[in-house]
Amino acid sequence: MSTTRNPGGIPARRRGPALLWRGALLAALVCAIGLLPWLSRTDPALTVLKARALERTADPETLRAVRDELGLDDGPLVLLGRWLGGLARGDAGRSWVSGTEVAPVVGHALGVSLLLMAGALVVALATAAAICGRPLWRGARLRPGGRAGGGGRGGSAALAALPEFLIASLLVAVVGVRLGWLPASGWYGPAWMVLPSLALGLPAGAVLGRLLADALPGAFAEQWVPAARGRGLPPGTLARHALRRAVAGLLPNLGLFVVGLTGGAVAVEQIFDIPGLGRLTLRAALAQDLPVLQLGVLALVALAALAAALVRLGVGALIGPALRDGALQAAHRPGGTRRRWGAPLGYGLVLAAVVALGLPRDPLALDTGLRLTAPSWAHPLGTDALGRDVLARVAHGALTTLGTAVAVSAAALLVGLLLGLVPRLSGPLAETVNAVPAVPAALLITGVVGGGPWTPAVAVAAVAWTPLATHAGSLLLQERAALHVTASRALGAGRGHLLRRVLLPAVLPPVLRHALLRLPGIALSLAALGFLGIGAQPPSPEWGLVLSENQPYVERAPWAVLAPAAVLALLGALAVTAAGAARRGEPGAAGAPGARWRRRRAVRAAAAGTAPSGTAPDTARERMPQ
Amino acid sequence: MRIPRLRPAAALLLVPLLAGCFVAAPGDPYGDDGGAGSGGGARLRVALAFPPAENYSPYGMDAYDLSRLGVVEGLTRLDANGTAVAALAESWYAEGNGRDWLFALREATFHDGTEVTAAAVADSLTRAALAEPPPGALSGIRLTAEAAGDRLVRVSTEEPDPVLPLRLSNPSLAVFAPSAFTGDRVNPAGTATGPFVLTTTTGDTAASLDRFDGYWGGRAHASGVDVRYISDGTARANALRTGEVDVAEAVPVAQVPALDPDTVHEINTARNTSLYLNTSTGLFTDAALRAAAREAIDTAAVADGVYEGYAEPAQGLYGPALSWAAGLRGAPTGRTADPAEPDGAALTLATYNDRPELPETAQVVQQQLERAGFTVRLEVRGYAQLESDLLAGAFDAAVLSRNMMLETGDPVTVLASGYTCEGSFNPALLCDPAVDALTEAARAEAGPAQRQQAAIRAEAAVLGTDAEIPLVHLKVVTGIRPGVTGVVLDPYERELVGAGTRR
Repeated sequence: MSTTRNPGGIPARRRGPALLWRGALLAALVCAIGLLPWLSRTDPALTVLKARALERTADPETLRAVRDELGLDDGPLVLLGRWLGGLARGDAGRSWVSGTEVAPVVGHALGVSLLLMAGALVVALATAAAICGRPLWRGARLRPGGRAGGGGRGGSAALAALPEFLIASLLVAVVGVRLGWLPASGWYGPAWMVLPSLALGLPAGAVLGRLLADALPGAFAEQWVPAARGRGLPPGTLARHALRRAVAGLLPNLGLFVVGLTGGAVAVEQIFDIPGLGRLTLRAALAQDLPVLQLGVLALVALAALAAALVRLGVGALIGPALRDGALQAAHRPGGTRRRWGAPLGYGLVLAAVVALGLPRDPLALDTGLRLTAPSWAHPLGTDALGRDVLARVAHGALTTLGTAVAVSAAALLVGLLLGLVPRLSGPLAETVNAVPAVPAALLITGVVGGGPWTPAVAVAAVAWTPLATHAGSLLLQERAALHVTASRALGAGRGHLLRRVLLPAVLPPVLRHALLRLPGIALSLAALGFLGIGAQPPSPEWGLVLSENQPYVERAPWAVLAPAAVLALLGALAVTAAGAARRGEPGAAGAPGARWRRRRAVRAAAAGTAPSGTAPDTARERMPQ
Repeated sequence: MRIPRLRPAAALLLVPLLAGCFVAAPGDPYGDDGGAGSGGGARLRVALAFPPAENYSPYGMDAYDLSRLGVVEGLTRLDANGTAVAALAESWYAEGNGRDWLFALREATFHDGTEVTAAAVADSLTRAALAEPPPGALSGIRLTAEAAGDRLVRVSTEEPDPVLPLRLSNPSLAVFAPSAFTGDRVNPAGTATGPFVLTTTTGDTAASLDRFDGYWGGRAHASGVDVRYISDGTARANALRTGEVDVAEAVPVAQVPALDPDTVHEINTARNTSLYLNTSTGLFTDAALRAAAREAIDTAAVADGVYEGYAEPAQGLYGPALSWAAGLRGAPTGRTADPAEPDGAALTLATYNDRPELPETAQVVQQQLERAGFTVRLEVRGYAQLESDLLAGAFDAAVLSRNMMLETGDPVTVLASGYTCEGSFNPALLCDPAVDALTEAARAEAGPAQRQQAAIRAEAAVLGTDAEIPLVHLKVVTGIRPGVTGVVLDPYERELVGAGTRR
């Protein structure tokens, strides 16, 4: 076993600045939340009063009383200082709305959310395992020269595109109420965990599984595989080592996912009536209940830091020695031998047909007499709660939804790639940003940039880059530790050359596929901001809006929700399969810049009988110059 | 090689440590016997819609939850006709100057076993009057209370207040024992007077009540109540459908068809959904355009199409829950302008999504206005994000839902705050001399009948301005499992579980 004390490949002397940077980010975040009412120019006395009693008339005398009670006239800096001083003494203050101590409330909600997240994690890992089971099986039994396909790409991408609230609503209606197999609401014991965990874990697991399945063929294409196979290692062992190699690049994203779910499971918490941190921070953000919001976000950021540390340990345990010694192989797939355009063409045609059929129809004509009618010839996808044609709304919504979502995705991809190039800077930043729940983040951004037409797009993009940057960062870390990069450097390649010709071409394709995988999710987040008064407004047929306005009718008129969800899933499948089919001869293919080094190295490695790079670090270390 | 692979799995061993992170179940939410307590009678399981926002402080909206659960009582209560009837006070009368009222108390005991004395009642009311911010029922009122005898309490206001007995029916003016005021907050657990005692609370997710054996009105039928706060309407309906609760309040219209018809119980409320037109800025300063908007609206389409029959097309400001209103009502007064042709005049229509039916109503209204020739842009936000812009006149029109009887149960209070120049919640920004004069006249009336007549005259003047176009009077649906009897369906949304509720 390796004796490395340096997991993650970051030398110890660089930890100091990283810690400082993380601390600075945390301080900036806490200050920003402390300034939230003053940034957004919304009187906290008013929002607190409304949180206590929605219909209470906010006359000046009442507001004065609330302001005096909370000491708001002291200004944000004094308030913040007082709160920090209390925190240093272990007193997190009292909620502005309820007057109860904040710490036990946040602590309990955090516990509930962690438990829910653990359940979701189990489901997600099972889902991911199911998705990458086939490539794993086939990869481990591949003959030399064969090609490990991704397989089941469309299906898992469609699952990844399904909104959590839809899965939750369907599970409640069918399993909880109709069949009565499991409790439909509450949080009283393990039986209550099953349905919410499924609702959260299935789409998240699909994303993770998709990314993993995407990385596996690359792992199986490494040179140690033929060597190991030649030595007669059984397919199971091969699969294990390949998995280990591929998982290392994914662990940082798993960390983001864990933290994101802990604070961001609002919809599922609402539907299943779970008293978790997502609901708590949402309410606190809307009421501008700063003590609760600050402690809630602080807890999430602390969790993010913990998750990041665990991830570093995990990566270190998986491939640390190889990372340090630069003994990895590039984790690309070999150049495609055959491009499969059949699946994306099929998905694209169906999508185009839906849009073409719906465009001539009127998406706004409402007739309450036709409320919630089932699909018929007149209305092929039925009607919604106001008697509007669902087909027309889905088709007309496609244009606006896709336009904005694609623009936001592109921006997120660009920012994610650029920041991913400087992982030491962007890693803590991504983890901190990712830990902040969506609504407080959107409120902060709205406060800063104002309420223009592009505000929702900016707010979503400001968060959407984090998984991409993390992905890019971890791929880059591995890529930099690859032998052919060392070799390029030795042959005099400059930093710019390396970046342009070696690193970017290796990192871009998987991150691009990742961005496409998340495209439907971005379309949903854009609509979720509508209730803050930013983003799409009714009666616009924007897909996210169509989904959320029909959510209460999911049991009575499932078509009104399933149709937009289906096109969203179709979009996800199309994006991912198309990206898979368009995969070019990446650097592994002949003619690409890295190929020469790869071939030479392959020859050398074969001559030396190099064992799998990540899985036998001792051997690898012996072979490499110290 | 195996050890590192097992590390993530080992982390899962931590999961049992989190088992303390479940919520303590109120009673046994899945059991069917409900855990019969001592002295017979099953425990009721109730799902309420509004979680306590202020940790059961009796001076805010949480008082309504306590009142709905039969924990707290005031000196008076509202009956179905909107008149004050006896609760802790058996009788009352105004002393000569109209500023002082004398209330004669009945024999009753607090949940902590002490007697309800005049001194305790006076102290309790005085503390409510001094609360910061003051309870909504007392806004603009200076109230003092003192013991005038063993069982006699004198309650005084600075200005004569003909509706004081109505005001005292508000749950936030409930009476508590001296032991409620010992800590830094008012503690309603074990210190009130209702048929049920608040025993345990679990944050804002659940609470547990036991029967109070010393209740003056006789022991309650149910041995206790297990309360769950479920703010999501669908989740509340589902809890009823799966039998996890016996009573679910305020089931959203969208979920009603999914319920078993035997469980659906509806009642008219004093709540309206209306279209308010901004009379102070923008195009609706023109009375002729307001008249055109009124002509364009078809209220039946809203009542049937959006509320699916769980609402009635509006007749005026006071709906069928206020049974006296329909008999007194005449035609709107003061209309002068004929409807004008809108010619594509553009307007912004605002509404909020805290009540799920409102965005749908707004879209129906939008279509009706557009058919009449207006150009309408919708603006939908959360209510807290909407209100200050709304009252500042940022929108031309708004679809709002409003309880006409919320704080006092007095029909004139809402007129004064909602439709006069000085009104504190006046979404139409109405400032009309005729409305102000009639409202002022109504405020001076002392007798309930005269007050109602004066209120109806002022209503006619308000409707005559077309500042508010009432759309529908709402009903509220309470889901009650078959076999549960004695649930109180209250148009004022102040009562739900009472001494006679059982299953």
